Amino acid sequence: MTVIKHHAYLFDATRCIDCRACMVACSVENNIDMDKTRIWVAGLGVTGEYPELQRGTMVYHCMHCDHPDCMSACPVGAYTKAEDGPVTYNPDLCIGCRYCMNACPFGVPHFDYDKGIIEGAFIDKCTFCPQRIYNGQEPACVETCPTDALEYGDREELIAKAHARIAEHPTRYIDHVYGEFENGGTSYLILSHVPFSELGLPNLPETPVNEVSEKVMEMTIPFALGWGAVLTAVTTGVALYDNKKKAASKEKAETTK
Amino acid sequence: MKLNLTVQPRFRLNFSPLVWVLLTLMGIAFVVAMMRYAFGIGVISDLSYSYPWGFWISFDLFTGVAISSGGFLMAGTVYILRIKEFEPLLRPSVLTAFLGYIMVAIALLVDLGQPLRIWYMMIHWNHTSVLLEIGICVMSYLTVLAIEFAPVVLERFPKVHKVAHLIHKFIMPFVIFGVVLSTLHQSSLGSLLLIQPSKLHPLWWTPILPIMFFASAISIGLAMIILESSLSSRYFQRGLETHLLAKLAKAIPVALVIYGLLKFGELAVAGDFGYLFTSGTMSILFWAEILIGVITPIIWLSIKKNRESANGLLTGAIIVLGGMILNRFNVSWFAVKHPDPLFYMPTFMSNVKYFPTLPEVAVSLGIFAAGILAFGLAAKYLPVFEAEHEAEEVHQSLHGLQPIRASADD
Repeated sequence: MTVIKHHAYLFDATRCIDCRACMVACSVENNIDMDKTRIWVAGLGVTGEYPELQRGTMVYHCMHCDHPDCMSACPVGAYTKAEDGPVTYNPDLCIGCRYCMNACPFGVPHFDYDKGIIEGAFIDKCTFCPQRIYNGQEPACVETCPTDALEYGDREELIAKAHARIAEHPTRYIDHVYGEFENGGTSYLILSHVPFSELGLPNLPETPVNEVSEKVMEMTIPFALGWGAVLTAVTTGVALYDNKKKAASKEKAETTK
Repeated sequence: MKLNLTVQPRFRLNFSPLVWVLLTLMGIAFVVAMMRYAFGIGVISDLSYSYPWGFWISFDLFTGVAISSGGFLMAGTVYILRIKEFEPLLRPSVLTAFLGYIMVAIALLVDLGQPLRIWYMMIHWNHTSVLLEIGICVMSYLTVLAIEFAPVVLERFPKVHKVAHLIHKFIMPFVIFGVVLSTLHQSSLGSLLLIQPSKLHPLWWTPILPIMFFASAISIGLAMIILESSLSSRYFQRGLETHLLAKLAKAIPVALVIYGLLKFGELAVAGDFGYLFTSGTMSILFWAEILIGVITPIIWLSIKKNRESANGLLTGAIIVLGGMILNRFNVSWFAVKHPDPLFYMPTFMSNVKYFPTLPEVAVSLGIFAAGILAFGLAAKYLPVFEAEHEAEEVHQSLHGLQPIRASADD
């Protein structure tokens, strides 16, 4: 098996038959309830007009962004991005603020709303099956997919594969690999026959959405120091002026006496 | 109804009906909060996969922090700029801010999934997170406010008078630190939403959100000082510093004009004018916020007669607060677009509509009631409003860099 430099998925919406075996595989592999699965299939129904009818399904799980917004947002650093792709979450640090859920443009992280403080309420999301991929296996959802709608491999190779597939069937696909550049690049690449917005995917620029807030955060410390210096200067200035004025009025009072 | 907290001899508490109402609200909130700790947030709230943040964040965090901005405004005016005539407003504003931030902290303890880990923010730092900055700033500022307010409590006890004196002597570094912290986190509440360019409506999302938040926090703080002075003067039947409040009220239109220019200037630069009339509910919310929070108060408070009457001031303050609180709700809740319902969704994400539940609101109301009660108790038993009578003599006794309140009780 070839060495994988950057783990990634490729999803082909034209191949998905909405069987939801990936959901079962995920919940079995990771021992989680079916209704809290880390992967979910959205049936989009039948679209288009007769006789050009289309049926779309979309498999969602964590996009494993190259510049993860959950990681940027998390105040306590519970998220980490591995150099070879996976974005992972550490429940031992999580304080349950749910800012990652707000930050993620794909709405991936989900939260235990039904757990009290004794059980502990945590965030959950796709882990990229590290127990499998680092042992030479495919992630559970990919391995179980009967139609190869989900594939796994090295990101560069998958992108080349996706473009080759578009070139091979130019009428079948939209000429775009979602995730190649979106949000600064993701490790979940999507090929589709219907517009990506119909699959429920947001229209994102090539710069990661956390760019502006990270720039603002970089300016915080210099701004705080500068503003503190300005305030100290103003305080001293006003105090000196005040004392001077008071001394002057005192002197005046004494001379007039 | 008067807030009557008279303590009878032998500590027989004689509560007025208002106090009973406040205590009942607090009791309900306590029971609801216990249910949440036992069975989870979902049991008492409508928060969901699509709406991780709801009423608590909009009301307790965004509104709570904004209406507490009077504390740093007055501390800055009186201590740093040495405009001593505003001294009578200093202690009530610092008290409002102190209680306000305590209320924010208590509300967050209900909202957080792991409330016992709130202190993790002090040791695990992710320096790209705006929420971390807000957490650190709020915790530090709460300490600063406690130091700024401590003399008021200590003065009550003759034996520790010396400590109060000592705090007065070294108050300046804390005041400056407090103003810096406030500037940072008032604006950072805006930065919190910078990470949602794809979710927040373009009428509100702008890279200068932190500046917008700071600009509006100033008029909110000033309006809150007017509101809190007016109401407490009514309930405690003490004099109202109308001449001082009129000066604050004069500053509000200036702050609001700057805010309005920033807002529309930004929309013009970003080319978002098209959304002003074409976004349906969002356009209506936007104009409601601008009309109530910016345009009406600019006109109302520019009229001298309104600024000089107690009712005119109170009305003006309420209009500003109404509009600006709508702004905080818009930006953190109403204008945030969450994932659309698709054809099929797993059960945990099927709830894509959010409406706050009664228990959810009850928690916020209970915390708010506790704040009002605490303000009443402090106003009754601590020298919060006493500076009013002493302002003149204090004014005379100032010398050197010694802080203003130092000799008030000597």
